[in-house]
Amino acid sequence: MAESLTWLAAIPILIGAAAGGWALRRAWRLRIEERLPWMLGGWAILIATLLWPAWVLGAARGPFIAVALIPAGVLAVVTSGATVKAARADGNGRNNDQSLAPEPLERPSTAWRTILRWLLAGPIGMIAAMAVGVCYAVWVPGEPQTRLLISGLMVPVLWGGAMAWTLADSRILRATAMLAGVTLICFTAAILRGFA
Amino acid sequence: MTTRTERVAGKRQPIWPKVPADFVRAVLKGHSALGLAFAAAIYLVCLSGSIAVFAREFQRWEHPAAPRIEAAAPGAVQTAFTGAMAQAGNGVEHAYVTLPSPELPWLLITTEGKAGEHAWIADGQGRIAESGASPWTEFVTHLHINLHLPQTWGMFLVGLTGVALLSSLISGLLAHPRVFRDAFHLRLGGSRRLQEADLHNRLGVWALPFHVIVSLTGALLGLTTLIVGVLGLAVFQGDVNKVYALFLPPLPKDDPRPAPLPDLAAMLRQAAVRSPGATPAYILMQHPAEYGQATQVGLRQPNRLAGTDALTFDREGKLFHASYARDNNLGKDILGSIGSLHFGWFGGGVVRVVYGLLGLGLTYLAASGVTIWLARRRDKGRPAPGWERVWTSVVWGQPLAFAVAALGVVIAGAGAPLSLPLSLWGGATLLALAVSGFVEAKALSRACRAIGGATLVLVALGHVALRGGLAGDPVAVIVNVVLLLLGAGLVASALRGRMVRSAA
Repeated sequence: MAESLTWLAAIPILIGAAAGGWALRRAWRLRIEERLPWMLGGWAILIATLLWPAWVLGAARGPFIAVALIPAGVLAVVTSGATVKAARADGNGRNNDQSLAPEPLERPSTAWRTILRWLLAGPIGMIAAMAVGVCYAVWVPGEPQTRLLISGLMVPVLWGGAMAWTLADSRILRATAMLAGVTLICFTAAILRGFA
Repeated sequence: MTTRTERVAGKRQPIWPKVPADFVRAVLKGHSALGLAFAAAIYLVCLSGSIAVFAREFQRWEHPAAPRIEAAAPGAVQTAFTGAMAQAGNGVEHAYVTLPSPELPWLLITTEGKAGEHAWIADGQGRIAESGASPWTEFVTHLHINLHLPQTWGMFLVGLTGVALLSSLISGLLAHPRVFRDAFHLRLGGSRRLQEADLHNRLGVWALPFHVIVSLTGALLGLTTLIVGVLGLAVFQGDVNKVYALFLPPLPKDDPRPAPLPDLAAMLRQAAVRSPGATPAYILMQHPAEYGQATQVGLRQPNRLAGTDALTFDREGKLFHASYARDNNLGKDILGSIGSLHFGWFGGGVVRVVYGLLGLGLTYLAASGVTIWLARRRDKGRPAPGWERVWTSVVWGQPLAFAVAALGVVIAGAGAPLSLPLSLWGGATLLALAVSGFVEAKALSRACRAIGGATLVLVALGHVALRGGLAGDPVAVIVNVVLLLLGAGLVASALRGRMVRSAA
């Protein structure tokens, strides 16, 4: 019963996603002054497609089913608008198309900077993320399970953010100071409070 | 600032404020470094995860003739459990009963103890029908969960891969200021680098919610031991058990004296009264043959993401702990939904299919990141043919290695040990890497696709011939058709590449 209901609901969700994607693509192709209604309409359709399954498939389950299906619907629209070009390459296999895409920064580096950078992205970033998570768990009010789970979810996000930042930032000492400071402050704050 | 002339001409302006070029290039450098460092791990975890989404379907494919039932009567569950325990012998530490569901319409009993892990499938009357061992499914799921490494280290490594993926998503968004502006650009067939970048960016942006969900839940699942350890250390003075005690039922007092088996039928009847409208999903037993035993009956509430009621009984059948989905706080709801959200086990077949496809999209993101880096080097006159060959062997060697492992299991049967698919997969992976030392990348790609595709076709045909893949479970037929189509597609892509090369 639940399985067939999900299959039935999947069809309008996919249609909604495709309609929203189509409206956004139309907005994207129009001149700026004609764009707004299509852009607002497209996002409105996508938000509605995300929300209405809550009433049919369950308050949390419905929107998450929509979250899974909407990308599929929009990507179908993106694929339908693909343009096919003739392959171009010179005898050396090099491509002759000029790309306007930005190139990664070329920066001089030394062995110790590289080691420090990866230490910051790895274990030091992890410890800093843990410190913030623990600090959240002990300071923010609420049920202990909720505090612990949210702090648990924060750790990978913060660690991932620290990883992205430390691998990008050319001023490596700034990143070091920031992560060390965050760790020190958050662990101290957690110890002062304790768990209630 | 946008001038009137530009607006009239209809020039596209970015939605976001202008991002400094140096910032973009710096973030791109980090994105590139991270992608290269973790590319193979992310690729392997994503590919195995995309297959593991269909674990239930593969289990059924490995046992096409197993008795399928919609529901099991309490008496049949008791009979099946007693029969399985008799076959398992002494020293069973844990026993698990999987009750029939639409995804897996089996009565499956698993035991774990001194004699290792064993599984049996029972019919509607509770008679043991056949062994429930599923080596191929187990191989794929373990590869995804812990890369077949020791549990703690393997899970940590997979969790770290999840963090790296999350980090790549963050830096990927920051490194592409035009990512929303170009949200519908998809140019195929021209420049290889442009094509790969378009696909990489479009998939990355439009499937971002899915990517964030699976990488975040995957990271949390993999890092649970570490996170719980640190939280326990910091907030409970090192007592990790206090963290677990907030979420799990208390354990009964340890008493290893031999005792009669628990009365599951009575517990199921009691659970049905206490959780009306819920469907019994599983029974988990600790020390089922000892006086210190505990039995948890899990019942699934409909239309909920974290919708499991868990009733725990002692040896006498007395309820000593109950956790109802309706009473969950946010933390318990999050905990209960992490696994379902990660594997797509919350919305039936349609969500699993979409999860499989989006998972393959994420796998492609990992693969194409390196491909773009290699193409960029080539375009700038600094090609890295050695790395091109190695990366080709990783990307196209894996479908081949998975197919070879599956073929081994089809030939050996469901009784094959887990070491069989594992060693076949490992051997094929190493062989592909070794061959990359002296075969040009395009030829290697074609060979892997052709052999991998042909092997997949053999897997499907072998399953039909040796395992009765056309009779019995219709899901096994669907799996065989999909394998056949995938295999034919891979062979066709390899042949097409060869024909295009010949024509040129």
